[in-house]
Amino acid sequence: MSEPTRAGAAPADTDLRAEMRQAAASLGSPSHDPPGRAVTSDLSVDEGLLLHSIGWEAVDVVFGSSVVSIPPMVWTWGSGEITAASEAHNQAVRSAARHLEEQCANVRGHGVVGVRVEVEVQRHHVDVELTGTAVRPVRGKDRSSPFVSDLSARDFTLLHNAGWGPIGLAFGASFVYAPRRSMGTTMRQSSQNVELTNFTEAMYAAREAGMEHMQRSALDMGAQGIVAVRVSEGPMWFANHAIGFTAWGTAVRLEAESHQYLRPEVVLPLDDAVVEFEAQSLR
Amino acid sequence: MVASGPTEPDDDGPPAQGGGGADGDLPEAAGRRLGGSSFSSGLTVPDFAACLQMGLEPVGLVQGFCVMQWGWYGSGSPYMRGMTPYAFGGNAPRGAYSETYSCPHGGYVYSNEHRIWGQNYQQPWVESAWAQGFGSAYARMVEEAAEVGAHGIIGVVDTTRHLADMNVTEFHILGTAVVVQGGAAPPGGTPWTTYLAGQRLAKLVEAGYMPVSVVAALSSVRVWAYCVTEMLMEGTLSRFGGGYLPVSEVEQLSRAHIAARSLAREHVRSQLGNDTLQGASIVANTQSLAQGDEVIECALRGTRVRRFKDFDPLPAPRPTVRLT
Repeated sequence: MSEPTRAGAAPADTDLRAEMRQAAASLGSPSHDPPGRAVTSDLSVDEGLLLHSIGWEAVDVVFGSSVVSIPPMVWTWGSGEITAASEAHNQAVRSAARHLEEQCANVRGHGVVGVRVEVEVQRHHVDVELTGTAVRPVRGKDRSSPFVSDLSARDFTLLHNAGWGPIGLAFGASFVYAPRRSMGTTMRQSSQNVELTNFTEAMYAAREAGMEHMQRSALDMGAQGIVAVRVSEGPMWFANHAIGFTAWGTAVRLEAESHQYLRPEVVLPLDDAVVEFEAQSLR
Repeated sequence: MVASGPTEPDDDGPPAQGGGGADGDLPEAAGRRLGGSSFSSGLTVPDFAACLQMGLEPVGLVQGFCVMQWGWYGSGSPYMRGMTPYAFGGNAPRGAYSETYSCPHGGYVYSNEHRIWGQNYQQPWVESAWAQGFGSAYARMVEEAAEVGAHGIIGVVDTTRHLADMNVTEFHILGTAVVVQGGAAPPGGTPWTTYLAGQRLAKLVEAGYMPVSVVAALSSVRVWAYCVTEMLMEGTLSRFGGGYLPVSEVEQLSRAHIAARSLAREHVRSQLGNDTLQGASIVANTQSLAQGDEVIECALRGTRVRRFKDFDPLPAPRPTVRLT
């Protein structure tokens, strides 16, 4: 195939080709990086470049796992919060995060970003898997207590530029019984469209307790707030009369003297407007 | 237990395993097809355009296959699977991960079925077989690329799938072979490879990194649960404490999960030398065999990259708000 020719090609094209040739020729030479432990990272190219723009770098892919048992027969009958299940869930996350921090400290990272949180609640156990990339400032000193954050490297960079820093993963879970209706109520409501207040109330109770657990975990870390909170809720396949609510996010603290306003630049894209299908045009 | 790209003269790490049997077995038809006057490419149109912008000329879509059977070959076989090599006095492979757990209840006093002993152990024979399958498919793809005089292979995609009901796994790896216009042939004539293509590859090069090879490894850890793990996982009433077992961490399983992931990372690291693994993808799969008995397999793959120019800090990015 011949080299494509194009009138008025941008000078950047030529530079990129020269860089590509230089890069390919370099394979016969050793790396420019000083000898040391090989770096592993699950960040994208963009994320790596963004980290470099604030003087940080990836160090290693790190993992944290925990399996915590739930005692038998806690899901069936009762009222109020299922404290054993809530405790198991919160303990599993704390333990997995601790493993992640230990691995991060072992490679002299300052924290872990882009943590992927995978939680599985089963009848007798809770499994938690955390995976992320340990990062540190390029010429930074060691840090005694690494942070764990599920923010992407992009969001971490934005947070850093605004003068804030992540300090840990705030997590809260709560499981609550939805009490069974009486036989009479069940019969009376069988032919009605009616709110099941037992489930609504259980949902509210689980939400309040779950959010409370999360906020308490953030305060225990010395956080001023939690960003990028995500929630999941609903019944479990093995427990028809229990509702679970889980909330997690990154606990943050102001590290600069005051919040740094970013003053974003307003951009007006000149793309064509998307033409959407309108059902009314068929009339 | 590891599979990766070319072994280079300056490599300090161990040589790549699993590529055996691939040399010189390029089908004749493939040689004829690749020698044709037209090119084929697996790139999308934007990636194809970006490839030309970078001075990379596509020369052909190259592929490699390998189908491996997972068999039971008996104790001592390098591919042995499904039972512990330590149960009959076998020796643990040197340096392999294993941890033993003992019953705290007095053992067989309670029942012959009581699990007085449990173990987590690495299964190097499974890892080796996986590396042989992946490595052979990879070597065959690289051989096709070398056949057409390519300098590198970009946009690599690899898939591993089980063929129905046959205990057989198919490894398939493909990519687009390219020539660097005006560039020198790679050292040793072995093409470099990368999972990246198009804009992402261009950014990588602009950032000062050159792809060396794709790197992938599988780790496999088998868990034989001991009594405590079994009871915690099945939620049985404790006959030994007189009540329910409390909420507690299942230490044996937590450690096995971390070990599987750490082993995959170490397998890959052993192939990196002084280079960097970029864009790592980690996929863990847990197969539950009984209460607490598990096989945990973790596949880690990514592109090994080498810095070819000094660190060049970028200007801080400007935040923007789109008016749409």
